[in-house]
Amino acid sequence: MDTSSPSVFVNGALMRRYIGQKVRTVIQVVGSDIGSVVGKSTDDLQIVVRGSSPTPPLTTYLEVIGIAESDNAIRAETWTNFGNSFDPHNYNELCKLANGEFKHLFI
Amino acid sequence: MAVSLTEGVIMKMLNGEVTSETDMMPVLQVTELKLIQSKLHQNQESSNRYKFLLSDGTDLAAGMLNTSLNSLVNQGTIQLGSVIRLTHYICNLIQTRRIVVIMQLEVIVEKCNIIGNPKEPGHSSISLQRGGVNTQSNGGSEQQQARRSDVNGGRYGVSANSPQPQVVHNSSDAGRYGVSANSPQPQVSHNNSDAGRYGVSANSPQPQVSQRYGTGSGSRETSPSTRPYASSNAGYGGSRQEQPRAPTATTAYSRPVQSAYQPQQPPMYVNRGPVARNEAPPRINPIAALNPYQGRWTIKVRVTSKAELRRFNNPRGEGKLFSFDLLDADGGEIRVTCFNDAVDQFFDKIVVGNVYLISRGNLKPAQKNFNHLPNDYEIHLDSASTIQSCEDDGTIPRYHFHFRNISDIENMENNSTTDLIGIVSSISPTVAIMRKNLTEVQKRSLQLKDMSGRSVEVTMWGNFCNAEGQKLQNLCDSGVFPVLALKAGRIGEFNGKQVSTIGASQFFIEPDFPEARELRQWYEREGRNAHFTSISREFSGVGRQEVRKVIAQIKDEKLGTSEKPDWITVCATISFMKVENFCYTACPIMNGDRPCSKKVTNNGDGTWRCEKCDKCVDECDYRYILQIQLQDHTDLTWATAFQEAGEEIMGMSAKDLYYVKYENQDEEKFEDIIRSVAFTKYIFKLKIKEETYSDEQRVKATVVKAEKLNYSSNTRFMLEAIDKLKIGDANSLPIKAESSNYRSDAFNSGVGTSGTRDTASVDARREFGLPAANQVGQYGNQYSSDARSLGGFTSCNLCRSNSHVSANCPTLMSEPQGQYMGGTNAGGGMPRQHVGSY
Repeated sequence: MDTSSPSVFVNGALMRRYIGQKVRTVIQVVGSDIGSVVGKSTDDLQIVVRGSSPTPPLTTYLEVIGIAESDNAIRAETWTNFGNSFDPHNYNELCKLANGEFKHLFI
Repeated sequence: MAVSLTEGVIMKMLNGEVTSETDMMPVLQVTELKLIQSKLHQNQESSNRYKFLLSDGTDLAAGMLNTSLNSLVNQGTIQLGSVIRLTHYICNLIQTRRIVVIMQLEVIVEKCNIIGNPKEPGHSSISLQRGGVNTQSNGGSEQQQARRSDVNGGRYGVSANSPQPQVVHNSSDAGRYGVSANSPQPQVSHNNSDAGRYGVSANSPQPQVSQRYGTGSGSRETSPSTRPYASSNAGYGGSRQEQPRAPTATTAYSRPVQSAYQPQQPPMYVNRGPVARNEAPPRINPIAALNPYQGRWTIKVRVTSKAELRRFNNPRGEGKLFSFDLLDADGGEIRVTCFNDAVDQFFDKIVVGNVYLISRGNLKPAQKNFNHLPNDYEIHLDSASTIQSCEDDGTIPRYHFHFRNISDIENMENNSTTDLIGIVSSISPTVAIMRKNLTEVQKRSLQLKDMSGRSVEVTMWGNFCNAEGQKLQNLCDSGVFPVLALKAGRIGEFNGKQVSTIGASQFFIEPDFPEARELRQWYEREGRNAHFTSISREFSGVGRQEVRKVIAQIKDEKLGTSEKPDWITVCATISFMKVENFCYTACPIMNGDRPCSKKVTNNGDGTWRCEKCDKCVDECDYRYILQIQLQDHTDLTWATAFQEAGEEIMGMSAKDLYYVKYENQDEEKFEDIIRSVAFTKYIFKLKIKEETYSDEQRVKATVVKAEKLNYSSNTRFMLEAIDKLKIGDANSLPIKAESSNYRSDAFNSGVGTSGTRDTASVDARREFGLPAANQVGQYGNQYSSDARSLGGFTSCNLCRSNSHVSANCPTLMSEPQGQYMGGTNAGGGMPRQHVGSY
């Protein structure tokens, strides 16, 4: 497993903690433009993802890994389609746990 | 000197044969002698007259001495025992009695012993006489004095003069109306006295008070004037009451008699009086004394519960009814039912908690199906019944409980009702159960513990789930273990003993009874930590609660070794499958609604024979019998999956697979299939049981159900588990599998968004249901001592060093991975397969 550039699980609220760092998150695609995708984070905050979007079609849920530019923008390096059925609630909980009590369990 | 009396003469006198001295001059003996004073004849000085009894040796007759001869008596010439010859006398018939009036006599012997054994015709007596009207009548009446039997006669002196206890009235009649027939009965002394007093013809009606003393209402030892009977006498010659009461002599007379001779009167006696409407304040009967054989009764009661108005339809037509329960000051309880019209009359009047006077209802035997009160009767009200509201009476308790210990329930029979009080240790959310008649009902269960060291499952049905159930849930969630008093719970047998609510049940949460307080104190002291044996066994089958475990717990907890098999749920992966013998040839013959499924043997000619059904079939069924190895993060185990589970796992029928392998000889395809099955994750429901194989005990697991894992829901489950873990930490609960506290406010996490997080997890919790939580509670407890890492501050609980967390503790590292070590495993051991990246 490649642990050279670990990315932190974040949701909308947690992103501000990691500005400038590599993060990963799952967003629900709301709209897409040339060069950016606007989506809703798992805690219902708006996230803008810049970068070359993957080949369409985009599924409803999309995971992006990239550098957090601000508290609501990511410059994405990796995009992954997560499909249309996804449980954002669970992911949200994960983010909270991963950054809180069980931070020590994550890289 | 020896004297002989004229024998037989008395008889003749009484017969009328001998009437005067012209017939004969008998020699008789004086056996009794009495002085009578007559007052009524004012023109004379109060004259003395002597009355005596004359005997001829065998019989007695009453006689009166002429006043002119009084001196003889005064001098003592005539005394008791004197023998006299009647020389001038006359026998008169006075009201059927013969009185001998003596004008002249000769004294033969002054003093002599009583000769013979004379008997009075009828009775012997001494009578207390008071003034005579006329000596004649007095004498006449006196003649028939009777002692006790007089009393009888007087009391019950009905025509037959036979004692008739209940017919006091009759007797009074007799007395009153003076035995109008003037029948030849012995007259009561009272009669006589009265007769004497009031100078009416003998047997005049008289105040019956003296008689009354002797009569049935012996319970009423009040003075005559206050007798309610007095009022009932009113119907009879009303003015009697004003007459001076029977003088003490008679009362004195009657009292001793009454105690000696007291027929028991039913207390209802007074109300059954033929005449007087007794309008005195009604006597309050205790509920315990009510029975259908009593007439009018009145009870003063408080309404403890009131049921809803119900309509029904039976062959006789439609109807409506409602019922309510009553409690009186002695603690007696009875149910009252009103039908149709009575419903209209009384429904609005009855308010729970108020006190009423109820009267004139009908008593019927209680219908034990519907009526769970400890009374053999129930009251039916109709339009003649009365309900009167009255002031609150402090003596009537509000509720009446008959609490039992939970341990007693084990010995009580099913379908009996009882009252319970205990601490609610856990409560599960409402589930909807489908009944056999396809109606859905709400059901909610809770565990109740009490001082007997036992716990029992209490099931709430219908409305109870929502109202009281929710309240209890809230209380339990906030960590308070409420005291619950349950009235009228029905004992049932379902997985051991358990208690259900019925329509008449009532819940009292945190009641203010002494028992409740006692219970609370006990719980604080020791109950919290005590071990409770549950008399309601939790087991699987319909409605079993999912008990989530990890595979290692099978060994650790020695599941399956007790009498009954254990049913658990695990989330595991199939790591291996035995491909040989993945199915067997089975009998397809339907046995009811299931196929026989017993292994059939090949007859060689293409037919198959089943031993159980004893038949041959051409085509046999193929049924799965998969031996699979299940593995989770803690341990691995072998399990057997039969047809249903097998199909789920393999994704195809056993027959198809069989064909693939054997008929088509398509090894490759077969292998592919098998490979695809391996390493798939399922939620397995396992039945664990220890079986004996030729002296060897082996714990076998059977897959009852295999479900493909739904990550989403499983994750939620995990989240809850995590929460439990944390809360368990915060509260440091003792290890008790069934306790589940949600004290999210006490959650001391460093996570900034804990506020929202908690609500979210609470939702998840609610969604997922408690059963899982029960299990997690166990997890939590095991881990509770571990990893308390709060925002940066890490310390390893195992070795107390600050450099690492218990998950990475070097003391553990030496152990081979994958081993689950009971309670010492670190908090990091939580199943988190879905969390994190793959």
